[in-house]
Amino acid sequence: MKRDSPGAARDPLAGRIPIILITGFLGSGKTTLLGKLLRHPGMDRAAVVINELGDVAIDHQLMATSSEQMTLLGNGCLCCTVRTDLQETLREMFIRRRAGEVIDFDRVFVETTGLADPVPVLHSFQSDGLLGAQYRLDGVVTVVDAVNGMGQLDTMPEAVKQAAVADRIVLSKTDLAAPEVTRELISRLKTLNPYVSITPAIQGEIDPALLVNLGPGSAKALPAELSRWLGDGNTYLGKKLRGNHDAAIHTFSLRFEHPFTWDSLNAALQTLTALRGPDLLRVKGIVNVEGESGPVILQAAQHVIHPPITLESWRDADRSTRIVFIVRNIARESVESLFRAVGALAARS
Amino acid sequence: MANALTFNMRLLAHHELQGFGGIGEGMALQQTRDGRRILWLAHEGAPKNFTGVDVTDPRAPRVIVQTDLPHAKMRSNSLDVTGDVMAVAYQTSTAGLKPAGFDLFDISHPEQPKRISHFDASGAHSRGAHQVWFVDGEFVHMSCGADDFQPRHPEDDQIYRIVDVRDPARPVEAGRWWLPGTREGDAAPAPARLDPRIATGYRAHNTNVFPERPDRAYVGYIDGGAVILDIADKARPKVVGMWNHSPPFNGFTHTVLPLFGRKLLVVSDECVRDDGIDWPRLVWVVDGRNERNPVPISTFPAPPVEAFIKRGGRFGAHNLHENQPGPTSFRSETIIVGTFFNAGVRAYDIANPYQPQEIAYYVPEAPKLSRAGAIQLNDVYVDEKRIVYTVDRHAGGLYILEMTV
Repeated sequence: MKRDSPGAARDPLAGRIPIILITGFLGSGKTTLLGKLLRHPGMDRAAVVINELGDVAIDHQLMATSSEQMTLLGNGCLCCTVRTDLQETLREMFIRRRAGEVIDFDRVFVETTGLADPVPVLHSFQSDGLLGAQYRLDGVVTVVDAVNGMGQLDTMPEAVKQAAVADRIVLSKTDLAAPEVTRELISRLKTLNPYVSITPAIQGEIDPALLVNLGPGSAKALPAELSRWLGDGNTYLGKKLRGNHDAAIHTFSLRFEHPFTWDSLNAALQTLTALRGPDLLRVKGIVNVEGESGPVILQAAQHVIHPPITLESWRDADRSTRIVFIVRNIARESVESLFRAVGALAARS
Repeated sequence: MANALTFNMRLLAHHELQGFGGIGEGMALQQTRDGRRILWLAHEGAPKNFTGVDVTDPRAPRVIVQTDLPHAKMRSNSLDVTGDVMAVAYQTSTAGLKPAGFDLFDISHPEQPKRISHFDASGAHSRGAHQVWFVDGEFVHMSCGADDFQPRHPEDDQIYRIVDVRDPARPVEAGRWWLPGTREGDAAPAPARLDPRIATGYRAHNTNVFPERPDRAYVGYIDGGAVILDIADKARPKVVGMWNHSPPFNGFTHTVLPLFGRKLLVVSDECVRDDGIDWPRLVWVVDGRNERNPVPISTFPAPPVEAFIKRGGRFGAHNLHENQPGPTSFRSETIIVGTFFNAGVRAYDIANPYQPQEIAYYVPEAPKLSRAGAIQLNDVYVDEKRIVYTVDRHAGGLYILEMTV
């Protein structure tokens, strides 16, 4: 006997607090960006997790209240420093929020250290069940320095990874770089990650609204939000580029018109993660799975596949599966043929 | 509401109800023939009886009627609505007073409620009705004393009574049940009392009957636990199953909410003492596959105890939104919404019944003039659009929230 009202179940996305990872190489301007964000009037009810409070030079006048680890700033923004590890900090923040000891923050910006490979951090969000109950990863923002970015991409594999997994790139120091240097850097970033949006920010001045709602935030997500997340329409630059400096890491998007079954999707993902897990930097997509009411949101990092979430309904005519892969040394063709092969097998069985 | 605590609930409106913001545990949402939505609220105590609030636009609630009780030694506390008929409970402060029982009102013109009839339950040992359940237009199921019911212990005076109101002008009793041993002259021995510091008596509280199972009544029997009754023959209700966590727990079973599709029961306690004296008062998930043997499988994760227990007033479980069958009611077998006094209104996801998760809450700041010094959210009603209506027990009135989870 089923008697639930429509919408009587929990929205698997809307109830979780979005986390935005902010990455960027040493000297990229990440700290300047964070320092400006912390003071921005639009940051009330936001929390920012940073590595060192001293780095962002918070004036004492800006602090409303402060404890060893958490500081409430005058604009209503909660600034937290990581004491032991990030997961622990995020859990403690939620517990203190619930007890009314800190503000009811509704989004969290997390700074990763400059040298950090962001992939394990993504990975930890997807594998920590306790964290997943209260938070969801909204997206990755990477700060790239217009002056030194090109050199860092040439010499530092982590910098390439940071740019490749980004949902949004903030280009800093464009006022200091020659316009042709900036143009070339943008081209290179677009080759590396054709699906990313790139926003310039001078001296860290950016509207915080541009750094949120990067991923789908509700089971009622609209097609435009999904398209933005998957970077549809951002690909025009990538097609015309000469050469590819970062052949090892690259990004591609696959589209499948025929719906998957749960079994065939599972088989494809299991095979891919088992064989090439360490080289899957990030996978995100919407999948048409037979029998589901709407698109299934797929996210994975390395060998960890996030529990898939079904959205309420398809809201436009395009019901094809679209998956973006950010990989290292994996050819697009091999992934595509794997998905087609298991799809075909499933269709026969 | 700068000092409210919020998670996945957004305040749409707050209304102090013209200075009479102390509301009991009667809330019902009428869909009128002219397309309006009227929320009916029973006051917690005198001088007011009930208030009708036009919530057609939930962002702009408007009081359209507020009525007075005949005297101050009584209260209404509970009401329920089917179509254009409203039942309002009357409970007196001591036994032997009148009016005790319930009234039926015609609310087809909500601004002018017209009394249709009164069901008299007064008597030497009766304080009348504490709670009424009226969702089918035919029977009122209630927790109520009776002229001919003499309890062995004065706290055991309100029993489960069924009243046939198919002719609303002439309500007549259809049946009753009480815990054996609580009536003077019963063959069964009197039940052992709980620890006097927390004991509140063996009597009925909520008495729910749903259209899916018109032959079952789900009764919270305060210190007697949860009771499932077979009421196929209303004149002779029979016990099907009982479950009581007390002792060792602290009694006061309040609501027994069946989730028919999942064969679960959600059972809430009520906190009735200030400052944590009767803590823990919880919400329980009970496996109801075998009606004769209900088995508890989890409790809702409690709000942080240190944060609330000394915050002022009561802290603990109370009313749940009860999946009422009417057209304006939210019905869910996975999202359960309840009030927790100073810990506000909270929503839980029990998709996995072994691991309920808290998914939303709203804790208003202390209302002006509240004698508890903290919010005391008492009751909650969720409409089919997932708008949450919740009320303060003392002063804060009505809070209208949107659940975003």
